[in-house]
Amino acid sequence: MNRLKRISRHRLRRKLLRDLSASKGLFLAVTAVIILGVMFFGATSIGYQNLKQSYDYSYDELRFADFTIKVKEAPVEAVEELESIEGVASVTGRVNADIALALPGAESKRVLARVITLPADNRPAVNNVNLEEGSYFEAGDSDVLLVEKSFAEHHELEPGGNVILIADGRETTFGIAGIVTSPEYIWPAKNRQEILSSAETFGVVFVTEDAAIGLTGSSSINEFAFIVEQDADRDAIIAEAKQRLRTNSTIMDVVPREDQPSNTAVSMDLEEMGEFSEVFPLLFLIVGALATYIFLTRIVHNQRPQIGLMRAIGYTRRQVLIHYLSFALTIGVTGAIVGTIAGYLLSEVVTRFYVGILGLPYTQIQIQWLPIGEGLVLGIIPCAIAGIIPAYAASRLSPAEAMRIPAPAAGRKLLLEKVFPFLTRMSSVWKIPLRNIFRNRRRSLYTIIGVTFGISLILVSAAFIDSIDYFLNLQFERIQKYDAQMVFSPTQLPPATMVSEVQAWDEVDRAEPVLQVPVRLFRGDEEYTTSAVGLPPDSDLYRLYSTAGDRVNVSDEGILLSGSLEGVLDTHVGDVIAVVSAGVKEVQFYQVAGFLQQPMGAFGFVTLEEAQVLAGGQSVISGLMLDVHPDYLDSIREKAYTVPGVASVELTSESNDKVVELMSFIRNMMWIMLGFGAALALAIVFTTVTVNILERRPEIATMRTLGQDKGRIASMITIENLLLVIVGIIPGIPLGYLLAIYLFRLFQADIMTFYLIVYPTTYLWTIALIIVILLISQIPSIRHINRLDLARVIKEQST
Amino acid sequence: MPDTIHAKAGDIVLKLEDVSRTYQMGAIEVKALTGIALDITRGGFVAILGPSGSGKTTLLNLVGGIDSPSSGRITVDGIELSALDDKGLTSYRRNHIGFVFQFFNLIPTLTARENIEFAAELVNAPRAPDDVLEVVGLKERADHYPSELSGGEQQRVAIARALSKDPPILLCDEPTGELDFETGKHILSSMRTINKQDGKTILLVTHNTAIGEIADRVIRLRSGEIIEDRINESPIDPQGLRW
Repeated sequence: MNRLKRISRHRLRRKLLRDLSASKGLFLAVTAVIILGVMFFGATSIGYQNLKQSYDYSYDELRFADFTIKVKEAPVEAVEELESIEGVASVTGRVNADIALALPGAESKRVLARVITLPADNRPAVNNVNLEEGSYFEAGDSDVLLVEKSFAEHHELEPGGNVILIADGRETTFGIAGIVTSPEYIWPAKNRQEILSSAETFGVVFVTEDAAIGLTGSSSINEFAFIVEQDADRDAIIAEAKQRLRTNSTIMDVVPREDQPSNTAVSMDLEEMGEFSEVFPLLFLIVGALATYIFLTRIVHNQRPQIGLMRAIGYTRRQVLIHYLSFALTIGVTGAIVGTIAGYLLSEVVTRFYVGILGLPYTQIQIQWLPIGEGLVLGIIPCAIAGIIPAYAASRLSPAEAMRIPAPAAGRKLLLEKVFPFLTRMSSVWKIPLRNIFRNRRRSLYTIIGVTFGISLILVSAAFIDSIDYFLNLQFERIQKYDAQMVFSPTQLPPATMVSEVQAWDEVDRAEPVLQVPVRLFRGDEEYTTSAVGLPPDSDLYRLYSTAGDRVNVSDEGILLSGSLEGVLDTHVGDVIAVVSAGVKEVQFYQVAGFLQQPMGAFGFVTLEEAQVLAGGQSVISGLMLDVHPDYLDSIREKAYTVPGVASVELTSESNDKVVELMSFIRNMMWIMLGFGAALALAIVFTTVTVNILERRPEIATMRTLGQDKGRIASMITIENLLLVIVGIIPGIPLGYLLAIYLFRLFQADIMTFYLIVYPTTYLWTIALIIVILLISQIPSIRHINRLDLARVIKEQST
Repeated sequence: MPDTIHAKAGDIVLKLEDVSRTYQMGAIEVKALTGIALDITRGGFVAILGPSGSGKTTLLNLVGGIDSPSSGRITVDGIELSALDDKGLTSYRRNHIGFVFQFFNLIPTLTARENIEFAAELVNAPRAPDDVLEVVGLKERADHYPSELSGGEQQRVAIARALSKDPPILLCDEPTGELDFETGKHILSSMRTINKQDGKTILLVTHNTAIGEIADRVIRLRSGEIIEDRINESPIDPQGLRW
């Protein structure tokens, strides 16, 4: 008996393989959907885990701060005081200052350098650095520094080289001891407002405490970085630390780890990857399950006589059930295994690519068993669920019924034809496709769902690409109209009269002043640290747009806030917010005059005069925006550095290039996603179109025998599929848009605001693309019916 | 080799000259038809008889232009089929041939009338669907879908569909094969009426020897060759058939 069972199992296995081989086109198409879904899941979720571990490991190894408190000035002894707070594990006190830096060989060129102190004789207890090249400080060092890796790479700085730091007009040459990575600058952001900083104009260097005294002439510090003990109440510790610091210094800002600019940026990226790893594979696997169901339903339908025979000669219902379920499981297992392997390999590429872009201090690429296991389950389970219904139906067929010739499919007049009787008088080229849609409604629905999901994926990806383009266009074409900005060192702010001096240059067509004042905004319990940006009311080189898209100007009526602050401060137009700046003792109050579209950063915009009030009533500026004559775009930087106090000259074209470069990762990801969406649509449309046509071979052969030409039949098939695609497009576009809204919420942060934009042309080409996909996917079927052996096929039973 | 019945040249609607058809089935070569020579007169009712595998359906398919001979020549209404390309064969089937299949082959999403219109719209001067439905006695069922018709009714719709194009030749492949005895007789009666009243040439393929008795001429095939070709001097009324 066991031997017989083994033999029958062997026979059924052989039949399974041969049946699959006979339908290999469909089998491959359905399996491809599962492979793509599992591969996408694997690549993103394993990549996500690898990156998360890499970040966590880097943060742990380098003792990344749980929070940081910035003060105006504090004595070094405060560190000890803060360390005594219960729950504090470590505290590091340091200087953190932005000063000008000149590069050897290009002394006229300045870069804004973030100078951070580190102890010379040992590593800091908090926010350590990872030495990539060269050596760390030695006790007594005061003329060497460490350069952050991305800045060093951009300017090709190496250990043994020199840079010049310029503080209060004094130039001091430092040797480069080493190149380092820092947990605070994995994403080298200047601050939350300028998250996409260019290494061309901004860099981070680390100096010893002795060197800082030499630069500033003071031994006091202005920043404390904390690590708290596990399970300690961080908020309580922050409150206690603020309390203690208030006694002898002014608190400027408190930055918890999650708000730290670099960490915020990488967390956003990670979150986005994690979200993508869940949403998109889900769509693939739903479509994969539908495709499996369609495929298996067709197999069962076509094999009715075989099922009848199997049952008649003694195969049990269970054997029939398992046999037909095996088709679905073969698809699931093949898709899951191939998809997991491909996803695993791709995840390493994704991780290394990402790590390569950011230069993470430590990379953790490990076998991630959980996502691998999840991928396998995700591939197999939907197929098993999809397969159980047709397999069960096969097992319940009675042998006699199964071997009987099926009755013709029920035809009926459509409701549409009853409502619009003229439809009944349509040519058969239109009438047959229209009725065919309702002939196998379930399958038509699956085609529609497949198209809907496919177009959603395409549209979501296209929406991201459009929004990135809009982001860049808004920032660099519409808001930032200047060609270059001269940024002055905070310690050497020039008088406002500097504008007319620069305006007189031959190189400059127009110059406008700007004054950025560090401030804290308060509204109720909410507070936010940023800059108040002072602009001339008639500013043309920095244009402001309301959230509705209208051009607006700063005025005496109040403060204009970046749109993201509406949520951050929970404020509305007409509310009064409090503004605290280091320059004035009294708190200033401003009415919120409106909200602005602001892609990068979140600021408060006031008139230049108001900004000068916040700066302590001095008639100074912090920068000059220049509209440069086209002939002088290459030489303006050199000319600008001749002005005393200029810390950096930022060219809009360079900033644009930098942002484009940083955006390239997500942009490329979106193009890949778009390809996946197109592949998904192709696979599902191919599956359903092929099944539909294969099932109607006798009918099509009859049409041709009656004298219908191939073109007319191809037209009918195309019309039927086009109608289904159009029906799929109708929910697909809003679904894609809703999906984009859902995923876009990850990008809505104060540091960077994306506006969901889909250009009308994008809708058009998305629709065109899905139609092209349809036309491509039906080519094999149309070729097949054009080569039909009419004499043989008209003898087959049509259904 | 049986005696070939030669019709007068002017009356010949169909002529087969030394027609053979060989299929390659894997490594085996199957001779479906060998050296068939036939002249069929216009308006004739010809029964082609033979057991399974005798080549009768192959013969019908060759005449219908849905299969091509391996050798020999087929001329229908002066048209030499081997000279036609795919487009020409489509046009030939459209204008010269009406098919009636064993399994009816109606389009399930179209009503009886629409199935007829579907064929009729292919030719310049079709017969009105209601007229041909009346010929087969189904005018009152014109708006029914195939699933709402009995087997016999479906086959009558198929005959009406074939007639709608008003072709000179009707090719009927086992038209009663799926029908019960009474319904089968009714279908054969309809065919005989069409043959007599409309003057259509009918080639009827069947393995049922008894059906041959209603035809004007009986051609018997075996293993791809004609073993009998005779004129039936006294064809009987289909209603008198017994099998």
